[in-house]
Amino acid sequence: MRWMLVLLFACSHGDAPRWKEAGGPPRAGGTLRVASYGGVNTLDPAIAIDEISIAALHPIVDRLVGYAPDSTELVPRLAERWTISPDGLTYTFALRDATYADGTRIVAADFKRSFERTLSKADSPFGPYLAKIAGAQDVIDGKASSCTGIVAAERTLTITLTAPNAALLYELAMPFASPLTEAAVTSDLRTAPLASGPYELARWDQGQQVELVRRPRFYDPARQRIDRIILRENTPRDVQFMMFDRGELDAAELSGSDQRWVERQPAWAPHLKSRALMNAFGSRMNTRVKPFDDRRVRQALNYAVDKQRITKLLMGTSTPAHGVLAPGAFGRDDGLAPYPHDRQKAIALLAEAGYPNGFSIDYLTLPDEQAEKLALSLQADLAAVGITMTITQVSPATWGTAIGKPSGPTFSIGTWVGDYPDPLSLLDPLFHSRNITDDNSTNSSFFTNAEIDGILDAARGEGDRAKRAALYRRAEKILYDEAPWIWGYHQVFNEVVQPYVRDYRPHPVWVRDYTSAWLDLGPDGEPVKR
Amino acid sequence: MTNMIIRRVGWSLLVIWFVITATFLMTVALPADPAKTMLGPQATADSLARVTERYCFDDSIVVQYGCWVNNLVHGDLGESYRTRRPVTELIGDRIWPTLQLAFAGVALALIGGIFLGAIAAYRRGRWPDRAITGATLILQSTPPFVLGAVLLYVVAYRWDLLPLGGYGEGVIDRIAHLILPATTLALGGLAYYARVARTELVDVLREDYVRTARSKGLAERDVLLRHALRPALPPLVTLAAMDLGVLAGGAVVIESVFRWPGLGRELLQAILDVDMPVIVGITLVTAIAVVVVTLIADLIQVWLDPRLRVPATPHS
Repeated sequence: MRWMLVLLFACSHGDAPRWKEAGGPPRAGGTLRVASYGGVNTLDPAIAIDEISIAALHPIVDRLVGYAPDSTELVPRLAERWTISPDGLTYTFALRDATYADGTRIVAADFKRSFERTLSKADSPFGPYLAKIAGAQDVIDGKASSCTGIVAAERTLTITLTAPNAALLYELAMPFASPLTEAAVTSDLRTAPLASGPYELARWDQGQQVELVRRPRFYDPARQRIDRIILRENTPRDVQFMMFDRGELDAAELSGSDQRWVERQPAWAPHLKSRALMNAFGSRMNTRVKPFDDRRVRQALNYAVDKQRITKLLMGTSTPAHGVLAPGAFGRDDGLAPYPHDRQKAIALLAEAGYPNGFSIDYLTLPDEQAEKLALSLQADLAAVGITMTITQVSPATWGTAIGKPSGPTFSIGTWVGDYPDPLSLLDPLFHSRNITDDNSTNSSFFTNAEIDGILDAARGEGDRAKRAALYRRAEKILYDEAPWIWGYHQVFNEVVQPYVRDYRPHPVWVRDYTSAWLDLGPDGEPVKR
Repeated sequence: MTNMIIRRVGWSLLVIWFVITATFLMTVALPADPAKTMLGPQATADSLARVTERYCFDDSIVVQYGCWVNNLVHGDLGESYRTRRPVTELIGDRIWPTLQLAFAGVALALIGGIFLGAIAAYRRGRWPDRAITGATLILQSTPPFVLGAVLLYVVAYRWDLLPLGGYGEGVIDRIAHLILPATTLALGGLAYYARVARTELVDVLREDYVRTARSKGLAERDVLLRHALRPALPPLVTLAAMDLGVLAGGAVVIESVFRWPGLGRELLQAILDVDMPVIVGITLVTAIAVVVVTLIADLIQVWLDPRLRVPATPHS
C-alpha cells in the first residue's frame, strides 16, 4: 500500500487543510470522529489492558487520581486530597462529592468493592498490581473475600500497604482502579461499563465503532467540552489518512511515511502532534549463556549498531535510546548518550572476549514493519563486525511465550511498554532478578545483578522523590555499561488533527486522550471552510 | 436418492469432526501460551500461573479436548481469550456481514464469468477471446489486497464515488459499502469462472445436438444461449458452491482492507493471538458451510443434468 501513498502525495491532493478555526474562547459542543488501527477488546476495567481498549475506556471511568493535561504530574480526581503516613504505609484519600451518571453518589465502599473484584478475578491482569495492599494476597488466593488493608468509611478511603511502594498512586490512576456500585459488579461490564468519568457509552457496534456522549452531573466540565466522541475501530492507518483528508475524521494516527509528508506541508505542519511514548525497543540477549554471558560481547554489539540508520528507516517514529527510560521520564540519566557507532571498538571487544572471528547466532523477531526494519538493519551491522545473524519471524504470542523461558531463544527483539510514568514500571520488570522464573520471566535477558536489585528495592520504598531519582540514575548507568539489551529506540507517536481541534496534544500516558480538547466549529456546529 | 443423501450426511459429519479436531490439535500444539493472550505480553508470572490453573491450560491435551467437545455438544464454543466475548455471540454477530459479502461476490463473479466466457466461446480464436483470456489471466494473478487497495484508493478516495470502507447502515448505504469489497472478491473469482465457462461452452458447441440445432438454421447466438449454456453450467455451479462454502469462513484479506466486520477479519486476529476458541469456532462454521453447500450443489447438479437422475440399476 506504500506505493499508493507515494502516488497520493505526487497528486498534491489535500496539501492544505479544508477547514480553519472559527476563533474564540474554548467552548463546548461538537462531535469528534477518530479511528484506531485495531479493535476495542473489552470495556471491563478489570480486563482492559491493550492501548485501544484503554483509550475507549479512559473517558468513561474516573479514578482517585489522574494526570494533568500534557503532563505526567499526578493531580486529584475523585479524591479531593490524600495524605501518606510518615512510614509510607498508609494512604488516606478524602473523596470529593461526586456522582455517577444516574445521580448515585460515589462513596469509598465503591472503590473497595472494585479493587476486591479485580483481586478475585483470576483473568484480570491487575490483581498482582494491588497485591502490595495488606490482606490482598488472601483475596487473590481465595482465602478471604474482603481485603483487610482497604478500609472504607463514607467518603474516606484508607489503604494500607505491606511495604512502602511508590507505585501505588500511579496504579490508582489506571482505569481498573475506578469505582463500582454493587449493581454494576454483577452486570456485564464488558459491554456496559459504569460511567464515573466525563463520558458514558452511548453505543458499541463491536469491531466497528464505539460512541461516547458527554454525561450529565460530572464535576469537571473542562474535561467534557466535546459533546460526542466516535472511535472507528479496525481502520488501517493509510485509510485513516484518506478519511481524514476527505473530512470524515478529525484526527488520524500517522505511519512514518505519512508523518514525513505532513511535516513537509507548511499548511499542515502546525497540526501535526507528536509524543515520545514510554516504551523501549531493542534486542534482548540471554545474559546467562554464551556468547552473551560476557559483558564485552554485549557492549560490542551495542557499539556495532548504527542508530542513525534505524532512526532514518523508521521515518520520524522513533528516537534513539541509551536504556529503557524515554526522554522526559522521571529518573532518566539525561547525561548518558546512546552508544556511538564504532565498528573498530566492537571488533576489538569481540576479540578481547575470545571471538576474533565473530560467531553465528539466530534472532527471533516479530512480523511487523518496524521489527523487520530493526532486524534487517541489525543483521547488516553485525555482519560488518563478523557476526552472522539468521532472522526468524514468529507471531507475537509465540515470541512472548518463548522469550520468558531461560531455555528459550538467546537473542531476539525486546520490547516493553510502561504502564505509568515511573521507572518502577520499566526497570523492575525488565531487570530485577526477582522477575526471573522458569516459565514466565519478564526479565527476559535473565539479567542478575545484586547492585541493581538493591537499588531498585531501595528506590521502590523511598519516599523522597529527589533521592528516588538519584537512585534510578545510578541504575541507568549500571545498565548502560552492563548492556543486557542492544539499546534500540523509543517510539514516537504521530497524529494529525483538523485545524478546529484545539488544545490537543497526545498525552504522555494515555496517548489519545481528547478529554482536554475542544472543537472550534462555526456557529452552526459545522467546520468552517477555509 | 434418499440413500445417497443419508450416506453423504454421514460422511459430512465425519469431515466436520475431523476438521475441528485437527484445528484444535494444531492450536494446542502451538508453542504459545494462551494465558499470555488473556493477560497481555507483560503479565507477571503470578497472574499467568493463576489463569493457567483456572482455565486448565496445563491439563493434558486429552482432558482439554474432552472438555471442549463436551461444551460444544451443549452449544457452547467457549469465550475468546482476547476479548472474553462468547464465541457463539461473536460468530452470530459476524456471520451476516460475511454471508452478504460472500453471496454478492460469488453472484457477481458467476454472472460476469459466464458473460465473458460466453463471449470468448462465441468469438473463440478471435480478438475478443484473446483479450478476455489475457485480461482474466491478469486479474487471476493479482492478489486481492492489491486489487482491493487500488479500488479503494481510486474509486473511493480519488473519485469520491463510494465510501472508504466500513459496513454502512440502512439498505442503500449498505449496498454502497458492499460494492467495492464484493467487486474485489468477484474480480478474482470471475477470471476463473470465465475460463471454465469458455472451456465448457467450446466443448458443448462440438456436440452433435448443437450441430443439429445449427443445421435447423438457428443463429449462433441462439444456439449458444438456448442449447449450449445449460449443459455447460454444472461445473460452474460446483465451483461457485465451493467458493461460497469457503467464503462463509470470511474473506480474510478483503474484509481487513475494507473494514468489513466479517468472520475473516476476526479469524486473522485470532490466529495472531492464538485465540483458540475463536479459531476453532470459525473453522467449524467454515467446515459446516463447505459441507452443506457441496451437498446442495450436488443436488442442483442432478437437477441441471437429467442424466444423473437415472436410478442406479442393481447390477451397475
